[in-house]
Formats: sequence, structure tokens, C-alpha cells
Amino acid sequence: MAEEPQSVFQLPPSSAAGGEGLPEVSPEITTPEPPSSAAVSPGTEEPAGDTKKKIDILLKAVGDTPIMKTKKWAVERTRTIQGLIDFIKKFLKLVASEQLFIYVNQSFAPSPDQEVGTLYECFGSDGKLVLHYCKSQAWG
Amino acid sequence: MEEDEFIGEKTFQRCCAEFIKHSQQIGDSWEWRPSKDCSDGYMCKIHFQIKNEPVMSHPGTSTHGQTCLPMEEAFELPSDDCEVIEAPAASQVIKYEYHVLYSCSYQVPVLYFRASFLDGRPLTLKDIWEGVHEFYKTRLLQGPWDTITQQEHPILGQPFFVLHPCKTNEFMTPVLKNSRKINKNVNYITSWLSIVGPVVGLNLPLSYVKATSQDE
Repeated sequence: MAEEPQSVFQLPPSSAAGGEGLPEVSPEITTPEPPSSAAVSPGTEEPAGDTKKKIDILLKAVGDTPIMKTKKWAVERTRTIQGLIDFIKKFLKLVASEQLFIYVNQSFAPSPDQEVGTLYECFGSDGKLVLHYCKSQAWG
Repeated sequence: MEEDEFIGEKTFQRCCAEFIKHSQQIGDSWEWRPSKDCSDGYMCKIHFQIKNEPVMSHPGTSTHGQTCLPMEEAFELPSDDCEVIEAPAASQVIKYEYHVLYSCSYQVPVLYFRASFLDGRPLTLKDIWEGVHEFYKTRLLQGPWDTITQQEHPILGQPFFVLHPCKTNEFMTPVLKNSRKINKNVNYITSWLSIVGPVVGLNLPLSYVKATSQDE
């Protein structure tokens, strides 16, 4: 997939409501209220490096999962997979009974407590971590 | 129409063999156990975990986390007005056993598991539920058709807890289809276990991901 022309957006902290969630919403109005720990603002982020606190994540949908309009996010290294899943679910407005899985390398689901920073170090390339996400009715 | 979401028993055994090969490389202690007549078998792993017992914590210490006790406190000299510091008592260590079997009726792998204290006392279903990661609890409790139940182990004939496999294809199919599109080699067992394992406290080290890539 080619580099997204859109800007990289900051992932709000898990307590924030994560935007409108409609696929056709343009990136500029998905920004929730600015949290204390991370500036949430659109705008070009400089390339993520090893020493930066945030890493770039590119989210790709699998199957018939809704595609997020904003695919590229700057996320704190310490954000867990669980936090990321909660965010995407809110962003896509999934109901509680729907499960969302995140995969690294398109095939492996990291455990919920896994930090994205670690995944970036192991599987990141070209300055970003590609994660696939998939909606499923799998669990209860 | 869904296609190819099931795996045959031979593929199951082959994937397990590859999985175990990597497990041996990283010392993850999975092993294959053939059944008595050696026609089939299962993957097995035993894992010990220290369970957090709040009643044993000595005053002033915050006990947190389930998998380790703060080692500094375990060896600290007791002060005059404190209780003797708890060392991990035998009753606090839990032995988890995870078995991966093939289900002929569902044509998918199934995760069987049991847990007991070192003195042999088994954990109850209630204890098991309490051990389920918070992240999954709500969802599991919502669905009676996809929960943890107790069943007889098909090969050992002993009671085990089982993560019901009826929805396995639903979450495996998109992953497999997606990988097939780009001709990516996916070890079904590795993918499947990475999804179901964390529900019951079994987390796969990330090196399993790299192992799959190297097989391509």
C-alpha cells in the first residue's frame, strides 16, 4: 500500500471517546478534546525514530471489517494492544458483542498486554508498524 | 461461501510439529504427546505461575500483578512490628497445563486446559474465570455458546476445561484468506493459539511470528 498522503494523527488516550467513527468523516474533525499527556492535533508528524516516544502505526482492515478513514496514527510506545483495540472499536462504533482482533505480520495476534513499542521494534519497517485488524463475532 | 477454513488432521499435526520445533529452539516447553495407539496425539505445555494471594501480603506492601512476587520483599528481613514476610507458599503456585487437540467434529484445534495447586487441589471453574484476562471477561460472559466449559479430555479421559471451538472458523477464516491472497505462509496453530491463548493466560512469545516468516 502506498504512503498515505494524509497526516499522521495522534491517538487519544484510552479515556477519550475517539471521534465520530463514521468512515466518511474527514480527518480534520475527528479530533477529540486535547488530553493532558498527548497533544491531539492534526498535522504532519516527523518520521518516528527509535528514540521517539511515539511510533507510527498503519492500520489495515481484514475481511469485511470497516476501513478506518484515518489509517495512520502516532501512538505512545507504551500503549497496549488492548488499548488500541478499545480505541479502534470506539472509532468504528462497534457494539460490545463484536470482537476486534489485531494482527502483526498479518497472522499473529499479540496478547492484550503487549506494548506497541515492542511490536514496532520487532516488526516495524520503513518507520512504521503495520497492523491488521479484523472484526469478528468470535467470542461471547 | 467459506472455503478452506477447516484444517485436516494431517495439517494440524504438521503445524504442531513446526510449532514445537520453534518452541524447542526458544525453550518454550511445548511437546507432542502421542495417544496410546499413536494414531493421533496432542500438543502439551506445563507452566507454573505464582498466584497473587492478597491475604498473605504484609503490611505496607502493595501486591500487584499475578505472575511474580516482588523479589526484594520476599527476601527482606522482617522488622519488629511486621509479620514474617511471606515466601511463596506451596499453595500459591499454580500449575497450568495446556493441551491442543484436534477436533474431528469441528475440524479445528481445541484448547483444553487445567490448573491445580502444587498439592494437587484443582482450581475450580470460578478460579479459572477469575483468571481470564479482563479484556475478554465481558465478552465471554455474554455468550453461552462460546465459553469455558468442563469436559472429558478425549485422549486422557480426565476432566479438563475447554474453550469451545464452535466459532473458531469465524475468526480464523479472514486471517487465512488474507494471508492466502498475498501467498503468505501461515502456521494455523501459531495464529490460532495467539488468539485463543491469552484468554486463558497463555501468551505466545513474539518470536513465533518470526519463525513463521522464516518458513516462507
